[in-house]
Amino acid sequence: MRSEYAHRSDEELLRFADGELSSRNVSQVNTHLAACWDCRTRLRQLEETIAEFVEVHHRTLDAQLPPSAGPRALLKARLAQPPAPVLHSPWLQPFQRAFASGRLAYVGAMVLVVALGTSIAHHFVSPPASAARGFRGTAGAVPDRRLTPGVAHPLSTSEVCTMRYSDDTHVVPASVRQEVFQEYGMAGSQSKDYELDYLISPQLGGTGDIRNLWPEPSSLDGWNMRVKDALEDRLHQLVCRDKIDLSTAQRELATDWIAAYKKYFHTDRPMEPL
Amino acid sequence: MSPISPSDSTIRLALSSAQLRQSSAAPSELEEEIIGLFDELRNRLLRYVLSFGLSSADGEEIIQEAFLALLQHMQQGRSRHNLRGWLFRVAHNLALKRLSGNGRRRDTVDLEAMGAEVHPDPAPSPEEQLAFSQRQIRLLAVLQALPAQDQRCLRLRAEGLRYREIADVLGMSLGSIAASLARSLARLGRADGR
Repeated sequence: MRSEYAHRSDEELLRFADGELSSRNVSQVNTHLAACWDCRTRLRQLEETIAEFVEVHHRTLDAQLPPSAGPRALLKARLAQPPAPVLHSPWLQPFQRAFASGRLAYVGAMVLVVALGTSIAHHFVSPPASAARGFRGTAGAVPDRRLTPGVAHPLSTSEVCTMRYSDDTHVVPASVRQEVFQEYGMAGSQSKDYELDYLISPQLGGTGDIRNLWPEPSSLDGWNMRVKDALEDRLHQLVCRDKIDLSTAQRELATDWIAAYKKYFHTDRPMEPL
Repeated sequence: MSPISPSDSTIRLALSSAQLRQSSAAPSELEEEIIGLFDELRNRLLRYVLSFGLSSADGEEIIQEAFLALLQHMQQGRSRHNLRGWLFRVAHNLALKRLSGNGRRRDTVDLEAMGAEVHPDPAPSPEEQLAFSQRQIRLLAVLQALPAQDQRCLRLRAEGLRYREIADVLGMSLGSIAASLARSLARLGRADGR
């Protein structure tokens, strides 16, 4: 650990001023600042430069800001129209790349893989009563919408259709797994009957975000993970053959995958695996 | 001022009646929420987008597109976590796209072009000459000499974004944000030879 007498770097002082230091580091910096005129002076200079920059930033740009009343009214009118498939326009592609490099770097720790019959390790317990019995029924087979609304990366159809996922490795960090099971009130050691699954599958852009993960009962005879995998494959095919929009596929998985299965397989009950 | 008309062809809205709305009634809660975010963030987003050197009209369009994308994002039940960061990310990428589409690759605010837009009179009045102090002019020169990514870091921070949000918008690591800001501020701080 650094001595309390060591001078602080500009970077550390800036993080201190911006509230971006851990509380432990904050108190160390505070102690040092109280004792050190040098660092206090540098901190003040930093703040002065920030103030100057902010003034220039505003003075050069504020004059160009048109009044907002017109644009606001226009937006309001547009919001009231049916939604446009905005996210799939080509102009969002740089966004997607930035997203992939930034956000996925974080997710990258866990290998994004999906579904397709592969199960994710689980250490969890005491399933909620409602989820425990699902024989031929749907209880527990659909996640709690409030906890698991489904989250997808804003990928384009062509990206989704050219992505490669390997099916054999998928590691969701233990901490995330635990969080998901806790969210669902499962904290014991009886989780053999549950597998962590993605609501919107990664092959359709689904993320490893906790809001896209839920403990799916694996022991259901009827609407189980294997059945959902079949649906995901089917939807992926349909999307890549331009039969349905990617956003439609994502929405249908996220809202009621069982209804989607019935719709796309023209059946009321899950079909036997091949 | 009416930089955008609903028929503006540069905003392509493929409206499809097949895409059902959850509610066709008067302003839904969702719409209210989005308008609330617009009121709160429009100026900040627009300032940021304008700092790319885009015109006000281009900037306004980008903001509209970003909020329409937000509507869709929310209708699809996607993550509502940090919508401010999400909006800046979308606006940032739309601005980049617009820049390349315009064949303009200005990474900095073009002072001259900006002067031309703000003050069409080629001979600035004494008031305008006084508008910026010598110190501010030097500061601007240093600012514009900064790498684009460093400038954007500063501007996003000036618009109130936390380091994590800035990292997400710019596709940088969290750790590199403080370094970039400190580096830029050190340069700006030396603008008057201090």
